[in-house]
Amino acid sequence: MRQPAYIVNTGIITAIGNDTATCFESLLQCRSGIDKATILQTNWKDDFPVGEIKMSNPDLAALTNTDPTWPRTALLSCVAVQEAWQPFVGKTKGLRVGFFSANTVGGMDLTEGFYKDYLEDNNAGELYQFKNHECGAITELVAAHFQFNDFVTTISTACSSSANSIMLAAQMIASGMIDIAIAGGADSLSRFTLNGFNTLMILDKEPCQPFDQNRRGLNLGEGAGYVVLMNEKAMQQCEADAVCTLSGYANANDAYHQTASSPDGIGNKLAIERAMRKAGVAAGDINYINLHGTGTANNDSSEGKAIEKIFGMNVPCASSTKAYTGHTLGAAGGVEAVFSTLSIQHGVIFPNMRLETAMEDVSWKPTTTLLQDINIRNVLSNSFGFGGNCSSLIFSKC
Amino acid sequence: MNLYINGTGLISAAGSNTDADFLYNVPEYDTNQLLCKEPDYAAFIPAMQLRRMSKAVRMGVAASKICFSQASIEKPDALSIGTAMGCLYDTEQFLKKMVVQNEQQLTPTAFIQSTHNTVAGQIALLCGCNGHNLTYTHRAHSFEHALINAKLYLDDHAGEQVLCGGIDELIEPSRHLMQRAGVYAASNRSAKDVVGTYAQGSVAGEGASFFLLNAAPVKGTLCIKDISVFSTKDKAAAVNNMAQYLNDIAGSIDLVMLGVNGDENSREFYEPLKNGVFAGVPQAAFKQLCGEYATSSAFALGLLSHAVTSGEVPSSVILNNQPKALRRVLIVNHFLHYYSCILVELA
Repeated sequence: MRQPAYIVNTGIITAIGNDTATCFESLLQCRSGIDKATILQTNWKDDFPVGEIKMSNPDLAALTNTDPTWPRTALLSCVAVQEAWQPFVGKTKGLRVGFFSANTVGGMDLTEGFYKDYLEDNNAGELYQFKNHECGAITELVAAHFQFNDFVTTISTACSSSANSIMLAAQMIASGMIDIAIAGGADSLSRFTLNGFNTLMILDKEPCQPFDQNRRGLNLGEGAGYVVLMNEKAMQQCEADAVCTLSGYANANDAYHQTASSPDGIGNKLAIERAMRKAGVAAGDINYINLHGTGTANNDSSEGKAIEKIFGMNVPCASSTKAYTGHTLGAAGGVEAVFSTLSIQHGVIFPNMRLETAMEDVSWKPTTTLLQDINIRNVLSNSFGFGGNCSSLIFSKC
Repeated sequence: MNLYINGTGLISAAGSNTDADFLYNVPEYDTNQLLCKEPDYAAFIPAMQLRRMSKAVRMGVAASKICFSQASIEKPDALSIGTAMGCLYDTEQFLKKMVVQNEQQLTPTAFIQSTHNTVAGQIALLCGCNGHNLTYTHRAHSFEHALINAKLYLDDHAGEQVLCGGIDELIEPSRHLMQRAGVYAASNRSAKDVVGTYAQGSVAGEGASFFLLNAAPVKGTLCIKDISVFSTKDKAAAVNNMAQYLNDIAGSIDLVMLGVNGDENSREFYEPLKNGVFAGVPQAAFKQLCGEYATSSAFALGLLSHAVTSGEVPSSVILNNQPKALRRVLIVNHFLHYYSCILVELA
């Protein structure tokens, strides 16, 4: 029998808070984390605001008693996993625990710090500065810290990475391969990604305005977000309560361009439709869409049209939360899974911040005010990325 | 698990499986790195597109095309790729320019192609595959996890075909840094050294090994029956795990393919396997052909698939005795503290 995957807890760190409660409060208060970079050392710090977590690496390491010489992505991951996992420590004897963690930058923050010296003298630098460069090394450090051994993996599909890690976790629980999954992802800011996005000319010099007619681009962010998924057996043993289930998921490919979305959002539409089919829900059953909504001209237009095609004139309440956190890349699917869970748990819809003028080429508009006391049964969360990767998740009230 | 291999595409230091003499000759070299002998891509990729592709992308695309051609299809239904290091060449190009030019006057091309999912994205783009598309980047389990993903996908989508591959490219700065970390060898080795002796570090390698997988049996093809992965820093524990695994899968095996790599650090794992756990079992080696890299177990699977198709295991890979049959074969790999077993049977 295929087993449902229940979401029993969350863990998060972003520019708007170091844990779930603080992030939730910031969302309710419309508190943005977009600001000038003070931790990231870049020549562009006065040009491009970012969603930066205002803590140094040693300060982050102190939160989880880990090693401050780790890549920043591993430190962020550890903070969020600790929050998500803490209630179940010592209760999982005999249960198979999987750790599914996505990221895109790996240890690039350290590599870029020593690479100039290395190019001049290839004996320069210390082992710690490059030995954790791989994406998989980030997951490995965090898995070892929490002693996750049964199944540990890393996914890297650009901005849809952690939505895919949550999808895989649910599949492995469904097939009976594991009982518990900690799934999501992390990414830190790095000069590599900031400069890369700058060459694509899709960074906003102001705080971003997703789904606004006059949007100028995205703000990069950093963070980590994880959900804990369990089957029924694990929930009983851990005395855990389900907040919701991950009822649907799908991954499709736009097959249009390496970095741009197709004008009609072919991949986006396929991912949403397949996820709804998997969940067994119709368009009218979706109460809230947490949009990918990066704030770039291309993404918001494609995503807007894909949603229009599926929902017609009855688009549900929808908002992008990237105006709060920035685009956290490989962490985005995990961060927004936490927000989707909060939406169901507290019956709230977060406003799409800074939306002034509705887009002309789509027929609907995201929600711009905070809505509370709503019975939210199903939330759709979208994550789209480079390489045409499009993933959609559906969270449903139990 | 039943994953039937319906097509195999290999680009390796030993050439491509479309070469008429693939694996026929005993490799002769004196080197500390084995780079791929790339095929003439004209048969696979239009010249205009080829010029813009990094080595990882063109190897991946060509390997996928070989798979499609073997199975007589235009495109798969889904993709599942494993790569430990991703598109290293483009990553290093962008990184180098960024630090040397102090974040000024950078161009997007290298950055665009630097993401780990570039190979999977480009394959989907070129063949127009809108299906499920995943890239695993979990060090030396990347390919094995891509296989597990293919299995989970086919559980839900019976009758479909998944392109599954392992790919990693080698670039000099990465090789050199891994040499500094004690992983790759500073001194040159021969193929004989790799399989028969131990010294500090291994010969660096790279490759693209792709497979078209489905869940419906096709007579005479290889079927992946089980995948087992674990990581440990204790080699004795790893040897015990292997003995336990051999016990768990019950029944005899016709051949074991070992990832022996000539690295002193691997001696404590491979010697007890050769002389203990798998004593009396025909044994073969593969890293003298492809070098050491995180997704090399995919090359071992490809070599085996090729051997089944061509009807013989090349004598150059045999460590002790020629197998009498290839009905049941175990691939045992080890890279750093990552270990994996892939059990295959002839359908």
